[in-house]
Amino acid sequence: MITIKELSDDNLFTAGHTACPGCGVAMSIRNAIRVLGKDTAVYVPASCAVVFGTTFPYGAWKVPFFHTAFENTGACLTGMQAAFEKKGKKVTVVGFAGDGGTYDIGLQSMSGAAERNEDIIYICLDNEAYMNTGIQRSGGTPFGAWTTTTPVGSNIQGNQRFKKNLGDIVVAHEIPYYATLSIGHPLDFIRKVEKAKNMKGFRFLHMFTPCIPGWKMDPAKTVEVTKRAVESGMWTLYEVENGEKKVTYKPGKMKSVKDYLNMQGRFRHMSDEDINKLQMWVCRKWNLHYHEKGAPDICEVAPPVEHHAITEEHREMHGP
Amino acid sequence: MKKVITGDHAVAIGAKLCRVDVVPAYPITPQTLIIEHIADFVNDGELDTKFLTMESEHSVMSAAAAASAAGARVFTATSSQGLAFMHEMLYATAPLRLPVVMANASRTLGGPPGIWCEYNDSMGARDSGWLQLYVEDNQEALDMIIQSFRIAEDKRVLLPVMPCLDGFVLTHTVEPVEIPTQEEVDSFLGPYEPDIILDPARPAMIGTFMPAEYIMELRRQTVAAFDSAKDVIREVNSEFSKKFGRDYGGLVDTYRMDDAKVALITMGTVTSTSREVVDDLRQKGEKVGIIKLRFFRPFPSEDLRKLVSNLDALGVFDRSISYHGGGPVYNEVRSALFGMKMPVINHFAGLGGRDVTEDQIFKMFELTSRAAKGEKVKEVNWHNTRGETV
Amino acid sequence: MFEVRFHGRGGQGAVMAAQTLAEAAVNEGNYAVAFPFFGAERRGAPVLAFTRIDEKKIYSKTQVYAPDCVVVLDDSLLDTIDVVSGLKPNGTVIINSKEKPDDIDLGVSVRTASVNATSIALEILKAPITNTAILGAFAKATGIIRIESLEASIKQKFGEKLGEKVGERNAFAARTAYEKTIIGTSRSVKKLEAKKQWLPKYQDYPIGAALIEGKTEAGLIGPGSFIENKVSGWATYRPLRDKEKCTMCLLCWFYCPEGTIIRISDRGDLMTNYDYCKGCGVCANECPVDAIKMVRARA
Repeated sequence: MITIKELSDDNLFTAGHTACPGCGVAMSIRNAIRVLGKDTAVYVPASCAVVFGTTFPYGAWKVPFFHTAFENTGACLTGMQAAFEKKGKKVTVVGFAGDGGTYDIGLQSMSGAAERNEDIIYICLDNEAYMNTGIQRSGGTPFGAWTTTTPVGSNIQGNQRFKKNLGDIVVAHEIPYYATLSIGHPLDFIRKVEKAKNMKGFRFLHMFTPCIPGWKMDPAKTVEVTKRAVESGMWTLYEVENGEKKVTYKPGKMKSVKDYLNMQGRFRHMSDEDINKLQMWVCRKWNLHYHEKGAPDICEVAPPVEHHAITEEHREMHGP
Repeated sequence: MKKVITGDHAVAIGAKLCRVDVVPAYPITPQTLIIEHIADFVNDGELDTKFLTMESEHSVMSAAAAASAAGARVFTATSSQGLAFMHEMLYATAPLRLPVVMANASRTLGGPPGIWCEYNDSMGARDSGWLQLYVEDNQEALDMIIQSFRIAEDKRVLLPVMPCLDGFVLTHTVEPVEIPTQEEVDSFLGPYEPDIILDPARPAMIGTFMPAEYIMELRRQTVAAFDSAKDVIREVNSEFSKKFGRDYGGLVDTYRMDDAKVALITMGTVTSTSREVVDDLRQKGEKVGIIKLRFFRPFPSEDLRKLVSNLDALGVFDRSISYHGGGPVYNEVRSALFGMKMPVINHFAGLGGRDVTEDQIFKMFELTSRAAKGEKVKEVNWHNTRGETV
Repeated sequence: MFEVRFHGRGGQGAVMAAQTLAEAAVNEGNYAVAFPFFGAERRGAPVLAFTRIDEKKIYSKTQVYAPDCVVVLDDSLLDTIDVVSGLKPNGTVIINSKEKPDDIDLGVSVRTASVNATSIALEILKAPITNTAILGAFAKATGIIRIESLEASIKQKFGEKLGEKVGERNAFAARTAYEKTIIGTSRSVKKLEAKKQWLPKYQDYPIGAALIEGKTEAGLIGPGSFIENKVSGWATYRPLRDKEKCTMCLLCWFYCPEGTIIRISDRGDLMTNYDYCKGCGVCANECPVDAIKMVRARA
């Protein structure tokens, strides 16, 4: 496995790009491409990464770059890969899509590519909202978060739905590799990118990428906030290789989500009741991922009734 | 070799003869036979292509654009709602100058839904930057796939091309088609060798975010390519005719126009039926002819002005509407002929796939001839439409 | 008609300043419009905003090319942007700077006002958001708007969005700046060079705007050419590394989102290229041995 020291000095995503200071997406792209190397071709759908990575006639990418639209990452990667294969070229074909481009508008195209098991790497840079258009809610936005379309109003405060479980959706395609990554865990990050690079078929790397203006936080804390996300269970580090799930980093002790929420302005308004709701969601996730209850003082409260539990009424309607 | 085949089959054979590298596909009536035949070619080992069964037309055109940008010769086919669904991607393909060829099986674009021939699907894409042509029979369908790749990939053009064939009237009709040999096609159409592609050996950026101080020149450049395309289309037609013995006239074709005083502008299979009508009228001594509009983009304004210069009146057939009066072809023709004094009469027929009969075409000539004699005739005429009189 | 052009950086509130000025002008019985240059700016990147004020309805919908007044929210912009471009001969430049107007070199000698809006903002608002303070300087230097009207508009506009307290503090920042603004005349020493830009004719465009690595008279284009874009002006702070403390763990090198930290001396040492440092501070925050300190980027 490559260590930080052994990483290449090549700047395949050069300096001078126009991402915001402390951008988690820029940080993740730079290191992913360091590992993937120069025999790579990338597709970037509509997102901040298109704008800060290329503005005609300038570009940060030193590998082939293609962009056309928002919802078609899976399809464009498919086309690129088909052309390279037909021409006998060995190229790692990689997409860098945001959460909006993956959870929402690009889900169909991603699903098609996953189902066909295209020989490509799909990277989702998850910053939990539509940041390029100025911070609107996506299917990846966590419960409670302020965005401009889930404002903090006098009646309703923040996002009312929990973050979509994209991992399970992707894994349900029975693909060779799905992994979650955090830039705050460099060795785990490098290992997973390297592993994906050396595999065949549809590989999905789900990267947690803080957004400074969108999360309303200090630009110096990009890495720290991802570490806290993992320690609190808001983000879990695992991989599913050919159907086998493995947790790749387990926090020693579950920390309260408050530790994580407090760092970010987007959660500042949350009531104790809402924080507790979110904590229960995390507790359930924690139980699921780590096969154990979280910290007793946090998770003592009984988890809410399963949303999909089979009720009497359900049995009557649909049979057992 | 002569084969009795459907228009869709002819298109598929055309694509095969062009040795296409990548074919992303998604089924839609009446295009389906095209991709089914190509799937057969691939699975029978007759065609070495990457056949991609995509999950939507939007993804078809996305994969097509991406494969083309990565240096592949790309073919696909669609129709109607499918063309509408990939509309966004049509606008990406053309200005990026990716020479994809896509057959369109002309079909009404709902709602309400229908599956028969109308041109409102492709007319909606007329400003997307694709070259657009309409064929009249299955032979022309096959031949124009081959010519389309030559035109699209010409360095002076480098634009995507959309050959349209009438849904069902051609797609599902068998007629004899002369199939060129692979050697003949290979010597007519060389391999696709683009200058700049996505290649790690020589990285390029294609489709970058573009500020206002750059985009206008890109548009202007694309217009220049459209202008060049007119010459290239004529050249390719004449070279094709020398090699294969079939001359389609280039941007437009004509029938019995030499001494014609009244003419009808037609497209697609209505051209074919109109030939019979013209023969009948000519026997009766009427000086009538047909101008077959083959390419709608680029629009052959100069050709038309020359062809109509001795006419007393001109009829224009439209198989789709613009909801504000005249059809898209009519409006384009009127604009091309601006300043010329002859009456130009619009004829709607065949919308939603309603059969365009010889009777209707006789009526089109009759009305246009009356206008030629100075009689008052409605500018826009709806043929075989209940509640309308012609 | 009085036309104003604001130069700022994404996140500094130039657009909000332009709008607040327009609102204050309307409240004084005028007609006014304010609008941004609709770019795709990220936080820290140079941005433009405009305000037009007149007694009658304004119909022009174009950008402002010959302003009566130019407002510069960040004096680091002076290094890269010709802020006086198109300024009317009797026009005024208002700059957020700790320098006196007579010490500021704009390349031309024009009526100039300066105020240290950053330090006022840091003191009163606890954040380097200078848009309200600079409006105070605008009121003082131009006399186009009364400070009282500005205070009212700021209270209303910022109060509505961010709460009454914030509104009041911002109004106080404007008043403080108003009182501290110094008016003078700029120096005309530096040679203003128009920024080189590759602007080919359409006939010379690469087909489909596809670019490979290339060099033009205006510099690099194509893949990797963003290194032409020096972004040091974005930075409020910059990192200083203590070589003695550094263990060469390379975490800063790994985390830096810009690629400003470079391995040198056969990889035995690190160097920071400040041309590309936006001053985010991640390196300092993550250094396990506290070898990196953030200091003010411009003394």
